[in-house]
Amino acid sequence: MITVDRLTKTYGAFTAVDDVSFVCQPGRVTGFLGPNGAGKTTTMRVMVGLTLPTRGEVTIGGLRYHDIPNPGRHVGTLLDASAQHVGRTGREILAIAAQTMGLPKTRVDEMLALVGLNDDEAGRRLRNYSLGMKQRLGIAHALLGDPSVLILDEPANGLDPAGIRWMRGLLKGYADRGGTVLLSSHLLHEVEQVADEMILIGRGRIVARGDRESLLAGANGTPVTLVTSLDNTALGAALTHAGHAVEPVGPGLRVQASPEQVGRTALGAGVVLTDLRSGGAGLEDLFLELTSADAREAVAGLAAPTTGGLPA
Amino acid sequence: MNTPLAPTLDVSSTPRTPLSRLVGVEIRKAIDTRAGFWFASSIVGLVLVVLLIYTLAAPDAAKNFGDMLQVAGGVLGYFLPILIIMLVTGEQSQRNGLVTFTLEPQRSRVVAAKFLAGIALAATVMVLAFLIALVFTAVAAATGATPEWSVEGSLLFNGFVLANLIGIFVGFAIAMLLMNTPAGIVAYFVYSLILPIAAGILSALSSGFEKIAPWIEFNTAQTPLFTGDYQPSGEEWAQLVVTGTLWLVVPLVLGTLRLLRIEFK
Ligand SMILES: Nc1ncnc2c1ncn2[C@@H]1O[C@H](COP(=O)(O)OP(=O)(O)OP(=O)(O)O)[C@@H](O)[C@H]1O
Ligand SMILES: [Mg+2]
Repeated sequence: MITVDRLTKTYGAFTAVDDVSFVCQPGRVTGFLGPNGAGKTTTMRVMVGLTLPTRGEVTIGGLRYHDIPNPGRHVGTLLDASAQHVGRTGREILAIAAQTMGLPKTRVDEMLALVGLNDDEAGRRLRNYSLGMKQRLGIAHALLGDPSVLILDEPANGLDPAGIRWMRGLLKGYADRGGTVLLSSHLLHEVEQVADEMILIGRGRIVARGDRESLLAGANGTPVTLVTSLDNTALGAALTHAGHAVEPVGPGLRVQASPEQVGRTALGAGVVLTDLRSGGAGLEDLFLELTSADAREAVAGLAAPTTGGLPA
Repeated sequence: MNTPLAPTLDVSSTPRTPLSRLVGVEIRKAIDTRAGFWFASSIVGLVLVVLLIYTLAAPDAAKNFGDMLQVAGGVLGYFLPILIIMLVTGEQSQRNGLVTFTLEPQRSRVVAAKFLAGIALAATVMVLAFLIALVFTAVAAATGATPEWSVEGSLLFNGFVLANLIGIFVGFAIAMLLMNTPAGIVAYFVYSLILPIAAGILSALSSGFEKIAPWIEFNTAQTPLFTGDYQPSGEEWAQLVVTGTLWLVVPLVLGTLRLLRIEFK
């Protein structure tokens, strides 16, 4: 488990991370979301001792990273997949790490197979790797020591759709086996399908946290649903009548109500639904709103389910 | 945030990475890239070529084993430190410091491992150069010269081992201070080629400078180690200590402090 306690990092007069506290629990995937320059990478770098905090501290399983002997065996890190000597082959990069950690050579081949790099690709030099191949190698590097904690900075960066799906399954499986997973992203939809909990950060401050539902519920008290039916006009009228705000989007309607409420209203109005979805767009809007340039303060009323620390 | 059930990491099964393993990794890193491998091999190759030319061109009287060693040592002196510079600055120039220092967050241990790896590599190259010098002395003997086989211990130690070790230490210090491969190499050549020339010119122009040069310029202060009877006098030792502190100890300390604090990005 990762505990970030009142972490602040300043560069001169600039505050990159501002009094951030959160906890990543074992058995869960924690998503770390925020726009460019929000302070995600900086926070993760402090976790593994590459950047010294100005104030506050981070512990992993109760220990400071510096105090973990052979840390690669406990904490798997992917910060920047291209931060490697470009003249080494993929296999050599993993072999060096395996040798440092005292792992058998067979582990390298296992990891290469796991991330889908074949023999030929593993023998190419890093400068000839594609973005996604580098990323796969970086993931293999993070998993090499069979760690119980994973810290991954934008792991999906550059992966193809199949790769992203594969990675989601991998991380879920990792958490299900009791691992602690923290992954960052700026793409909400990339994270919301895999994360049990999300931390939203903007300009160095946590602006919201919680699981998908509590984030949506906290946004404005009402979830958003996207619905398409055979008679949108009649459905729209019925929903308005029931007191829900409705606006047309694309082929359907965007309703400020839960999918269940929309379904019941449609049932009452006798309209056939062709598509009914919880409005991911609601979360997307929330995300943009919370992390927009002037949203530096926390949004009131958002729960902080796991930390009991700062009022979010 | 002391959650009562906070799971702690069980680190009992993973002892600290032994220094010997870190040294092994650093030696591997120094020669596992094309640049590193070819550079290390070319040093040996260059010793070979230079000694071959020397054997062909030098007068028979100057083909003693000691002469051969001195020539080989000169070649090593210019290139061994660059191998060390590449080993250290690669962490920053090639950005793999991010991974190196994540896997071993005790940076001083990585510094120590690099230092020992550098010495191990240098020792290997020196032994090879020693053997090559032997071979060419034999060639000289076979082609008509009557070389002197014995070498004075102090020549062997001062001129060959000590001179190269000092060069390696200086390269190590420069590398940590600058943390940039091209800048490190240029700085080393400025130190080893241009500074002594400048000191020589200034000494020729001003007798005042000639007196203080061995107190401020490391190469000048080292001269008694490699010339004459290879036995520096008391004053010359004092000059070595003073300039050694200035050019070796201070940069090593500053460079180490810098490496311990630098933010690898
Ligand atoms: N060494 C430094 N000196 C000055 N500013 C820095 C330094 N390192 C980071 N910053 C600043 O800190 C802020 C946070 O950067 P960080 O890399 O943590 O953002 P991020 O959330 O990871 O963004 P992205 O999504 O683009 O990766 C940025 O404004 C960055 O410019
Ligand atoms: Mg980042």
